[in-house]
Amino acid sequence: MRHSKDPGTIAVVKVFSPVRPTTAPLLALACVVLFGLVATALSPSAVGAGRKLIVEKESLYNNIYIYSDPPYVSLTFGHNGRLYTESVYNTKDDLDLPVTYTRYMTVGLAYAKQVRSILEIGSGGGRTAWYLHRYLPEVPITTVELDPVVADLARKHFGIRDEKNFEIVTRDGRLYMRENRSKRFDIIMIDAYRGPFVPFHLLTKEFYAATKAQMNPGGVLVQNVEPTTMLFDSATKTIQSVFANVEFFYADGNVVTVAYDGPRRSQADLLAVATARQKASSFRYDLTAMLPKRRLMSDGMGTISPDAKVLTDDFAPVEALKAIEKHNRKWAEP
Amino acid sequence: MTPRTTAYVIYLNAFIVGSALMGFEMLGSRYLFPYFGGGIGTWAALISTVLIALTLGYLAGGALVDRNPSSSVIAIAVALAGVYLAIIPPIADPVIAGILDVLGDGPIAILCASAVLCLVPLTLLGMYSPVAVRLIVRSTEEVGRVAGLVYGISTFGNVFGILFTTFYLIPEMGSRSITYLFGAVLLASAAMLYAVRRR
Repeated sequence: MRHSKDPGTIAVVKVFSPVRPTTAPLLALACVVLFGLVATALSPSAVGAGRKLIVEKESLYNNIYIYSDPPYVSLTFGHNGRLYTESVYNTKDDLDLPVTYTRYMTVGLAYAKQVRSILEIGSGGGRTAWYLHRYLPEVPITTVELDPVVADLARKHFGIRDEKNFEIVTRDGRLYMRENRSKRFDIIMIDAYRGPFVPFHLLTKEFYAATKAQMNPGGVLVQNVEPTTMLFDSATKTIQSVFANVEFFYADGNVVTVAYDGPRRSQADLLAVATARQKASSFRYDLTAMLPKRRLMSDGMGTISPDAKVLTDDFAPVEALKAIEKHNRKWAEP
Repeated sequence: MTPRTTAYVIYLNAFIVGSALMGFEMLGSRYLFPYFGGGIGTWAALISTVLIALTLGYLAGGALVDRNPSSSVIAIAVALAGVYLAIIPPIADPVIAGILDVLGDGPIAILCASAVLCLVPLTLLGMYSPVAVRLIVRSTEEVGRVAGLVYGISTFGNVFGILFTTFYLIPEMGSRSITYLFGAVLLASAAMLYAVRRR
């Protein structure tokens, strides 16, 4: 795991994919042989000099390590001998979102017709949802986390708590949608990773159809998708099969994908919404400043492979797609 | 049909049946995850359901073949399993969704859903090995070798089924298509077994 003193430059979050596909089979073999050794080497005391391991916990779903590097606290999951940063919290500054892409996760505020309820699937440390809660205390926000241990640690170490209009639910995201079919949301944010992978049932057409069905008119889906493998192409195609519009915000190694129905929104229209909301709430990460980073499919950004297939509950080989690296550099900043 | 040919057919089908059996367990996960999540709980329910099915299958197969020592016993069992697999794709989603709505998402619900998917076909397939041993054995002196071979081949089939399904079939085609494929393979296997039955 790359480690930096300035957490603003932690570019690759949740998506660190260091294994090149050509060497993957060989490495897989080596991994099997060396599994014991690797597991031992993961012993996190060895990782990073300035950081101190403050929590090490094994849950049903994750090997969780929390590091303190004052003023920052970071939540990481160990997965196959690597650490994946899930969340970074500035203990001195409750409104700081140190990880760049999480700032862009709030861009849904520039799209949604109304903002009366927000759902987040995949809380991790819960910082993005908490940031929104702090600026929009009157809006009910629900953040859904699969792992109860992660949710508890987030409450304990990441400065979030259950209070009026801020609800932390421990549930599988898909299951939560199904069990709360009658609820409607204006913004649905999806950021559910387990180590390098998104669980396949959170990437299928059926899942996106469920999110759309639970959206108020004028609602918007915002998702963090890692852009360097074929999984990005399939995920994009899948979202496109459900929503009329799919747009992107490139954020330091990650891509925040925004999807909504109805006619395409003009830049001026979005800017008007963003300006009004920015004025009303004074968000630290200015919505109007995010909009110039908006990219449409037609901009040639992230050219989607014609081979990419729509993922369904029936067919979703996410592990196999994840192993195919994309070789274009189209996502690099101009 | 010489007894030798019969034995070869039974060994071959031990591999085929073993492959389909564990291959279908892997598929079971694809049916269950969208409803119960991809956690260790789902796997625990699935694996225990498979092992319960094998327990029942071993008991039933052993008891049945002593009464009727013919490969028609396993031919029928394998054919029924194939037919059951063929009806899973259209019914799985409504049935699992119904279980989720009625029983919630606890261990009981996951076990019920796994049972709907796996219990019947895998119990039928689990009958295979004890029946196969009984049909191949000619004298008590070779019981150990025959039993070892049948279980070895069948377990190797299990391994092949897991790996082939996970790393080849699931990336290539939909889970429903794979289920039909397994159903067809089992019906072909049943036909072979029926052809070598002794009257």
